[in-house]
Amino acid sequence: MFKIVLFIFTITNLYSQEPISTIPLVNDINIAKAQLGKKLFFDTVLSKDNSTACVSCHDISLGGADSNVVSIGFDGKKGDIQSPTVFNAVYNFRQFWNGRAKNLHEQADGPINNPVEHNMGAQLVEERLNNSKSYRELFKDVFSSSKVKYKDVVDAIVEFEKTLITPNAKFDKYLRGEIKLSSSERNGYKIFKQYGCISCHNGINIGGNSFQKMGTFIEYKTAKSYPDKRTLTKKEIHHNVFKVPTLRNINLTAPYFHDGSSKTLKEAVNVMAKHNLGVVLSKGEVDDIVNFLNTLEGEKPSILK
Amino acid sequence: MKLNRSILFVLFIGVLSAIALIYFYIIQRDFTKNHREFLISLNSLENSHSDLNYLILQNSVYIYQNQDKIDAKIKELEFEYETLKKSNILEDITYQEINKSIKILKIKIYSYLNNIDDYVMFNARIKNSLLFLDRHIENKILLEAEEKLLFIEANRILKNLYNTKMMVDFDYLKGIDYLLSSDSQDTNIQNYIEKFNLHSLFIVKNYKEYIFLINSVLNDDIDSLLTQTLNEFNNLALKDFNALDIFALIVFTLFLLALSLIIYLLYSYIQKNHILYTTSESLKHSITYDMLTNLYNRKMLETKLPLISKPSVILIDIDSFKNINDIYGNEIGNLLLIELAKFIKNELFDTEELGVFRLGSDEFCVLFDNIDLHEVENIANMLEKKIAQHIFVFDNLKLNIYVNIVINDIFPILENADLALKVLKNIPTKRVEKYTNSLNLKENVQENMRIVEIIKNAILEDRVIPYFQAIVNLQTLRIEKYEALVRIKLEDGTILSPCVFLEVSKKSSQYYEITEIMIRKTIEKARKYPQYRFSLNLSMLDIVNTKITDILFDCYDRNLTIVTRIDIELLESEFLEDTAIVQEFIEKIHSYGSNVLIDDFGSGYSNFSYFSDLNIDTVKIDGSIVKEIAVNDKKLLILKTIHQFTKGMNMVNIAEYVENREIAVMLKEIGVEYAQGYYFSQPLPQPLDSDEVIL
Repeated sequence: MFKIVLFIFTITNLYSQEPISTIPLVNDINIAKAQLGKKLFFDTVLSKDNSTACVSCHDISLGGADSNVVSIGFDGKKGDIQSPTVFNAVYNFRQFWNGRAKNLHEQADGPINNPVEHNMGAQLVEERLNNSKSYRELFKDVFSSSKVKYKDVVDAIVEFEKTLITPNAKFDKYLRGEIKLSSSERNGYKIFKQYGCISCHNGINIGGNSFQKMGTFIEYKTAKSYPDKRTLTKKEIHHNVFKVPTLRNINLTAPYFHDGSSKTLKEAVNVMAKHNLGVVLSKGEVDDIVNFLNTLEGEKPSILK
Repeated sequence: MKLNRSILFVLFIGVLSAIALIYFYIIQRDFTKNHREFLISLNSLENSHSDLNYLILQNSVYIYQNQDKIDAKIKELEFEYETLKKSNILEDITYQEINKSIKILKIKIYSYLNNIDDYVMFNARIKNSLLFLDRHIENKILLEAEEKLLFIEANRILKNLYNTKMMVDFDYLKGIDYLLSSDSQDTNIQNYIEKFNLHSLFIVKNYKEYIFLINSVLNDDIDSLLTQTLNEFNNLALKDFNALDIFALIVFTLFLLALSLIIYLLYSYIQKNHILYTTSESLKHSITYDMLTNLYNRKMLETKLPLISKPSVILIDIDSFKNINDIYGNEIGNLLLIELAKFIKNELFDTEELGVFRLGSDEFCVLFDNIDLHEVENIANMLEKKIAQHIFVFDNLKLNIYVNIVINDIFPILENADLALKVLKNIPTKRVEKYTNSLNLKENVQENMRIVEIIKNAILEDRVIPYFQAIVNLQTLRIEKYEALVRIKLEDGTILSPCVFLEVSKKSSQYYEITEIMIRKTIEKARKYPQYRFSLNLSMLDIVNTKITDILFDCYDRNLTIVTRIDIELLESEFLEDTAIVQEFIEKIHSYGSNVLIDDFGSGYSNFSYFSDLNIDTVKIDGSIVKEIAVNDKKLLILKTIHQFTKGMNMVNIAEYVENREIAVMLKEIGVEYAQGYYFSQPLPQPLDSDEVIL
């Protein structure tokens, strides 16, 4: 009797095919444009006081994110949320924590204009870059236009960001059947699926393709309020709802969560288990999951080499 | 002019219909393209929507799923919507209504996509807790503790939770206890129940929103809105299609009109062309064919001849064809020509001729190439015989004709044959003749041309002159008259006698000029020599020629005193039927006080009946009689008879060709009144001053 019931439950629990996909090895990129975007990405000329570049908060030498809880922008002003990684951002379904940007173009436009970040405007960006002979020439080469246009500035940065992908993670190689995972890593992945992490953290970015509330199961309380999805929709159900962040290179992007409250991966895994899954993980399980998560670290984007 | 205008009109219609056709093609193409694009876009949107719903269902059923697929599909849906919104056809004012639907659609899609975001969020929560319960229920704790009822209860709750999800009906959970409870003191059991209830409560708490969301997503009215939009669009498009149909009808009608006009023009052109062709064919025929006999005509022969290397011809001429026309009428004459043409062609059936031609009224020609002339001669003889033997029958009339046939192969073919024919006509006993150079006919022509030239120059340079031969009264032996004889004095002084040039001159107007000169100059001489009478020679044909008589009487009228001494010698040798005209002429001459003489009587056509009808004064006895009276008794008898007869009729005689004294003496003895001849005097440029002669 027991066994029959168990059997029924087993077949009712339908599993689809592998819910995580690998980062493609071939990308269609306009190299010249991407190089121009790289130059812009590193250039503080895009901030009003020449203090801040994109790279200031998206440390692409590390995980593409900021190791500070909140980033420091224009005039030393602090941001209101932890900087998400720029690596693999191209695969996110929306941009920003609350998903207010539909794509990278919309995203890049944000920080440039944000008063506490670059504090620039389209006009000022164009003015600045048009004053620079080297930029004028670079833009002419790429866009065949003698004048630098803001639209093209964003386009170049986006092109660069498209190259910021981290392929050939150990887990990708595993999925491609090239290598085997250690038993701990394999077990970590199994738990990751069994406990339901996979419900939100799936797809190419292992996350980044849906919204979820921080603290579905047990309310996640923070000292101050963050720009969650509710700030956009004014719906109560969107309180503390953020875009599910990517887990790729997660070992390099501490601190974790929108508030940067978890300093280590273990801590973050425990917080997630408690608040979003309503489970308590054993120490071994946490280790296994962390080991699994470590396999998601990919190669540095080739453009940065 | 009319044709040109029609062509312009057709061209106009044609160009118009072509332009209309092109215009129609373009608007039709654009319209159908836009129409199709809109429908495809609408369809794609619908498909994306269905696909998305399918993925959502999948997401709901599967424990986990790669949600990238959902995001990709959402992006596709958004893209399809943007494509639809930007459809070219929506710029058309006719489709403004659709734009409203599209705007409503945007709101729907927006809300649909937001619901999907939320649905995914809630679905993940529920799935995770169900997954937890799935796993939790397997916990060994219950089995170890022999808590069978609790296990069954847990299973029931879990089953209900699953069923609720499957049925997507929150009511299913109403009134159902979804919390476990147990009196067991076992902390493990209580701990188990606490965890179970935590998740079951969590699921139930989230179910309401979840069910609302999945219902909103799966039962959204995007489909019906799309169907409604499609219907609206189709209704509007129908009007456009109808307009297109009408336009197509107009264009097609225009095209048909142009086409039928072209066909009409083409038809009338072919008609006209046919008429033109027939006309030109019949013209061509009439140029190369003889209309009457349907044989080739002279023109055709002249065209053909130069193309033949060794031509020979048979020239056929009907004997006395003029008489047939005169006697039986032209109609029979024509019929005869037609029949003869057929007959000749028929007879030549086996012969290798190059054609039978009708050259003139009664002249036929058969052309041969590279054929032995003997054979041609045989054919000619055969034809002559057959025609002579053949009897042509027209109704009751039976005609038997003869033909004169000439054969020739010597250049110039036709001219030579014509000349030979002329010669042949004068030989009554011969019917077939072959042209030879010995006939020398061609040179005669050249000679004639030379003479014409001589006459022309003589007239121009006043070298046409009269010579005068004395006529002697045999009784008194005095010259009483002179006969004027025409001469041409050449530039070198040579005197040409009329037998050289007179016949030739008669073929042209030169004859009139010569006649006038003779009349004028003789009258001048008569004025100078009042002691003599003078006589001028005219032929019978001259006096029926009003031009000649006009010239004559004009001169007479202007010299009334002199012309009483100018007599007219009528050349008797030519036959004249109508004596009334001659008598009228004679009387007119008499009215001027002049006399009329009959010349050359006793030769050729001499006819005694003249003397009964005509009031003639003098009869000149022909030289052929006179010059032989001394040696030929018969001629002497003739002369005597003429003399006696004419004397009895109160006429006097002049004997011509008196060449010696013997004849002169004999004539005097017979009693012939006058004589002229070399014995007395040859013709001289001037009359003699002395009128005495010696016998």
